[in-house]
Amino acid sequence: MALSFTRIFDNDWVGPGLVSLAAIIGISIFQPSFLSPFNIFVLLSAIAVNMVIALGQLVIIGIGQMNLALGAFGGLVAISFVAVMELYGVPPFVAVIIGFAIGTLAGGASGFVIARTGISAFIITLAGLQIFKGINLGITEAQPFYGVPQSVKDFGNLSMLGPIPWLVLPMLIASIGMWYLFTRLRIGRYILAIGGNRTAAELSGINVTATVIWAHAISGLLAATAGMMLVARLQIGQPTIGDDWLISSFAAPVIGGAVLAGGHVSVAGTFFGVVIIAIITQALVLFAIDPFVVQIVLGGLILWAVGINRLRELRVAKLNERA
Amino acid sequence: MTDATSNILDEATPEHRRGSGLMRLALSNEFGLALLIALAFGIFAMTLPGFTSPFSLFTIGRQIGIDTMIGLAMMAVIVTGGLDLSVGAIGVCAAMVFGYLAQIAGVPLPLAIPLAIAFGSVLGFINGYVVVRSGVHSFIITLASMSIFFGIMIFLTQAQSFNALPLAVPAMGKLRVGGPISILLIITLVVCAALSIFYRYTTLGRQMLAAGANARAAELSGIRTGRIIIACHMLTGGLAALAGLMLTARTGAAVPSMAGHLGQDWLLPAFLAPVLGGTLLSGGRVSVIGTLLGAAFVTIMTSGLLLMRVGEFWILACLGLMLLLAVLADRLRHQVLRARGMI
Repeated sequence: MALSFTRIFDNDWVGPGLVSLAAIIGISIFQPSFLSPFNIFVLLSAIAVNMVIALGQLVIIGIGQMNLALGAFGGLVAISFVAVMELYGVPPFVAVIIGFAIGTLAGGASGFVIARTGISAFIITLAGLQIFKGINLGITEAQPFYGVPQSVKDFGNLSMLGPIPWLVLPMLIASIGMWYLFTRLRIGRYILAIGGNRTAAELSGINVTATVIWAHAISGLLAATAGMMLVARLQIGQPTIGDDWLISSFAAPVIGGAVLAGGHVSVAGTFFGVVIIAIITQALVLFAIDPFVVQIVLGGLILWAVGINRLRELRVAKLNERA
Repeated sequence: MTDATSNILDEATPEHRRGSGLMRLALSNEFGLALLIALAFGIFAMTLPGFTSPFSLFTIGRQIGIDTMIGLAMMAVIVTGGLDLSVGAIGVCAAMVFGYLAQIAGVPLPLAIPLAIAFGSVLGFINGYVVVRSGVHSFIITLASMSIFFGIMIFLTQAQSFNALPLAVPAMGKLRVGGPISILLIITLVVCAALSIFYRYTTLGRQMLAAGANARAAELSGIRTGRIIIACHMLTGGLAALAGLMLTARTGAAVPSMAGHLGQDWLLPAFLAPVLGGTLLSGGRVSVIGTLLGAAFVTIMTSGLLLMRVGEFWILACLGLMLLLAVLADRLRHQVLRARGMI
């Protein structure tokens, strides 16, 4: 019995899940309006978008790399999405597909360069960040597009069921899809295998080049999804969309127990990581604390999570030694 | 630590070894860069009227000074095979501390400047200490610290600038020495010379290179790599602070947004200059002159393109492309060298 109890605590999502629960209970005692339908709606909208962003980084963390260009992908897709609707009168459904295509291609292209040249993903995606951000600003000249159709605005601001926004739908699809990918699909296992030990993966016959390209294409697809979700929520095509994704996209997976060197990720843990960040950001607003503090808290959360993960690693190593 | 490092920054470039004579020089990064600079400068000087005007040369030189300093700050930590995403945040924090000391506290400049640089080193020490003690890769630690440093700065300053600095500060930004040469460029050149000597002739500098090239071998030969890595981060912090002060002199005010959100705007120049200059991301090799030449090339290209009325946003994309081409050219150069049996 005791053994299974500690096993539960070894799951990545349990710790963050308990912290989320404690935070919700604690804050709602001091501030009952925290659990008002309106506040839940706002909270879920934020969680939905940030979860998709975090998943976009999670897949790259899984393969042992990082994607600094995630926000630049999202921003470029966001403005392209609105631009084709406003300038060419493309129906929203087609515009969404164009957005997916741009994100996937951009991600795939950066994956291709990384895989074929063997240059570190950090440098390639840093270059990608500047290139895609530059194209974004070059097209928009830093001015937003306003021509967002009513149906898109409704998707980002209306509720599906009670306090649950429509935006939760793409988040659910993306989360379940990624969970399925990592646990059931071959490509997901390949990604984690390469992240865990690239040489071993290569020797056991995994096509590393193709897998790296796939991982980056999926990351681009998720960034595109998040970018378009933000357009729906903000109701305009802001060129600044994606500028502030970097820190939170790493914070949530790390809080969720992802190993930065690759090979180990948790979709459920990442979800609770996103929830914790959203709750803290909201709480700062509710208690009228300076919004600038959010940055400090986010940084602190990353350090805290890294520390916890490190302690767990050490404990696992010690247990293995004993066994 | 080394496992995480090699995994995250998977830089497959082999270490440089001694090849032979002239061909090696001709294929060296520095030579190629110098050639490119001469070419770009020549073309711009002939086709763009005003490119060689004294004012244009002055602003180009000043920009080279600042960008080189930012590049050197990153270079000092790349030596260890790590990196520091918080250079921009440290630079701005140090500039704001300087602004407070000089404008509000009335500390005389000869004291405020070293204090601000020391403050940058303290922030660098925090980074280095946490990296060494936790054994976590510097990417994630400095990602967190950039958010924390910047957050604390913006919270304390409430995003307000210090724009009533002593007149000597903006005067410094405008000061010319020997015709069109900015004093800021002179400062950078002095720092370059000092760093070259530091890495080549001092024990600490050589230990930094050794620890970066092969941490275990360095440890076994009696170098306390932990302390060395902390020292590298402190050097980075100090140089970033100096870059922040130079930017303050140019602007004439200490502005919290001068390096963009969280100081992210410094990341490209910070990596572009050392990588163009041939500093290996996997650590163990630096090129101070290369970093200077890299920054010079980027600045000349940017100024030329601006004069050609290419929109500044498209230049951003060009710089990204330049970084990509630089690393690809570096890879190609290695293949040529290897094919000729020089490495």
